[in-house]
Amino acid sequence: MADAVKARSRPLRRRRAGSTPRYLPYVLIAPAALLMLGFIAYPMLSVLQYSLRDYNVTKPWRNGFAGLDNFKEIFTEDDFFWDTLAFSGRWVLVEVALQLVFGLVLALLINQTFVGRGLARALVFSPWAVSGVLTSTIWILLYNPSTGVSRYLADAGIGEYGTSILSDPGTVFWGVVVAELWRGVPFFAILLLADLQSVSKDLYEAAAVDGAGRLRQFWHITLPHLRDAIVLSTLLRGVWEFNNVDLLYTLTHGGPAGATTTLPLYVAQTGIDGNEFGYAAALTTVAFVILLFCSILYLRLSKFGGDDQ
Amino acid sequence: MRRSPRRGLAAVATALVLAAAASGCGDSGTSSGSEGDGTGKITFWDNNGGVRTEVWEQIIDAFEEENPDIEVEYVGVPIADVQSKYDAAIQGGDGLPDVGGVSTSYLANLVAQGALDPVTDRLAESGLDQQLLPAMLDSVRATVGEGEELYSVPTSANQGVLWYRTDLFEAAGLQPPTTWDNFYTAAEELTDREHNRFGFTIRGGAGSVAQALDMMYAQSGIDSFWEGDETTVNDPANVEALENYVGLYNTVTPEADLNNDFTNMVATFTGGEVGMLQHNLGSYQDHIDAFGEGVVDGLPMPTQEEGGPHTFVSNPVDGLGLFKSSDNKEAAWRFIEFAASHEMNSLWNESAGSIPANTEALNDDWIQSAPPTQAAVEALSDERTTIVQLPYYLPDWNNITKADTEPNFQRVLLGEMSAQDFLDDLADRLNEAQAEWLEQQE
Repeated sequence: MADAVKARSRPLRRRRAGSTPRYLPYVLIAPAALLMLGFIAYPMLSVLQYSLRDYNVTKPWRNGFAGLDNFKEIFTEDDFFWDTLAFSGRWVLVEVALQLVFGLVLALLINQTFVGRGLARALVFSPWAVSGVLTSTIWILLYNPSTGVSRYLADAGIGEYGTSILSDPGTVFWGVVVAELWRGVPFFAILLLADLQSVSKDLYEAAAVDGAGRLRQFWHITLPHLRDAIVLSTLLRGVWEFNNVDLLYTLTHGGPAGATTTLPLYVAQTGIDGNEFGYAAALTTVAFVILLFCSILYLRLSKFGGDDQ
Repeated sequence: MRRSPRRGLAAVATALVLAAAASGCGDSGTSSGSEGDGTGKITFWDNNGGVRTEVWEQIIDAFEEENPDIEVEYVGVPIADVQSKYDAAIQGGDGLPDVGGVSTSYLANLVAQGALDPVTDRLAESGLDQQLLPAMLDSVRATVGEGEELYSVPTSANQGVLWYRTDLFEAAGLQPPTTWDNFYTAAEELTDREHNRFGFTIRGGAGSVAQALDMMYAQSGIDSFWEGDETTVNDPANVEALENYVGLYNTVTPEADLNNDFTNMVATFTGGEVGMLQHNLGSYQDHIDAFGEGVVDGLPMPTQEEGGPHTFVSNPVDGLGLFKSSDNKEAAWRFIEFAASHEMNSLWNESAGSIPANTEALNDDWIQSAPPTQAAVEALSDERTTIVQLPYYLPDWNNITKADTEPNFQRVLLGEMSAQDFLDDLADRLNEAQAEWLEQQE
């Protein structure tokens, strides 16, 4: 019997060894590696290369190697860069914090068992399914002084005609925050709901037996369980919100008077409207480094995935 | 696992080869194509896609019927994106059309990038140059600032118009806004904020500075954009004109006008009880669609006194460009010739409500029955009228009048910046750009 097994296994081993050349793993990962080189590494290196140049398509006589001049200008002469960076920071913090809180509350609610839960879940997730352009259009109409909320409030004697939350520098920030909140909350609700469903019911039962109320159960069971999901989702959302261009561009064009211009929007305006592609590439590089640094710091401070180690 | 340095080197080399291939593939977008055999497919980019799609489809159908061996592929590009789309195609080295709609507001940029073929000789050979309005040909020449070469075939021109609601004016017993006094009086009289009525809607968002220039020079009557190498935008008369203009904001206009781009401004006018709007002839159809015939009329920019001379800033001239990279220039040119012909040029401009470049089209019936267009043509033909030529030839023109200064214009509207400071800053930028341009010309 043992001999028979040995006799069968020998040719198998030989065939496996013979048909697995040493370069096979490299061949297998080559397509992915080439795609990454072409679609990630090359564009990044290209941006880095442009950031060291003066490059304006409409003024070819100026184009050429600029060394670190673009970066020097950003940090020492460009006050608007600091304004947009400060606005981006405020935008990310407020958006992510509010989206997390509302997303968590909604996830906890639709995790309960009640009649119409399926419909409630569909309603909560529906803004996520709406395209960015459509979202912008909805909010443009809502904020429009002729068709929007302010018109109907004025009809009811509240406020004045011809006003819009987006045209007042004092209110525009919260106007765009609310619009983005509507779009962003479902992202947290979906992710957190998925994680909530994996919490063992035994834990809650044991806690209840020990006399823990719902609030204590939330603090000591639910929240620790959601920690990694919260860290990951806030990080992802933070990066996305930092890079947000479409909604702000469509709703306010970065205005009024530059009041809602994020750093990426400034990059878009500098490159696309201003044709200063070299300077825009330098701004992009700075934004990338800031984002990378903040992401690493956040993961370190939050000890993401620490329980698995 | 043992790592092979050779393999690592091979991977790096492959990456470099790929990167080089990716950056070097395709032509530069400025390489010279060929005449072709006058048949086959050509691509046409409409620079106001959506708005003008229908009329272009009619023109293309008629062309293909007359030239069954040529197929025109229509690509409608939204007006707001057209310049960046051209720039991207040129820099990307691929995908430029054979023929494209080009406005003089960005013609100089395209020429600077070497993307267009001059059409001077072709125009002369076809005799089309004798059929086109000399003023528009001059405007196209002046835009590029390279002597006598023409880089587009003009098809239409626009003109700043003061649109007003005749029904509201009649109800209030007001005179049409033919003079600045009439304009400011009407703006005030028609405003009743408590009942959602406003005398005027101002453009505070995208495109605001170009419109402000229109209002400034028309009021100040200054007849030239340059005095030597210095711009006249911050001349005291222009400062005063701008102060009057921005003074309208949030007194006789809605507060929300601060963010108004073209679409919002026209929507404010057509969607509410607003007495006047300053825009060019291009929005004529929007007003007809919203109010029907006879409710809105358009006048040339007001004058200081009744029947006095007009001062206008030059509006961009729209035209068709032949792209250097085209491999089918003969067929492309036939399409341009066809589109600029009397019948087609008339059809297009009737649809757009603009001033046709083809002189024969100027006598067509539709112009007689389109009072705003007719009034614009008459004002332009008036010998006393002054046209202030804006420096569209400056590569920085769009950047300066848009991204660089539009946020500041909003600061002026909000009272955070004075008209004088705004215009001084604008003047500094323009003078610097002019000096650089002059240096390049030398």
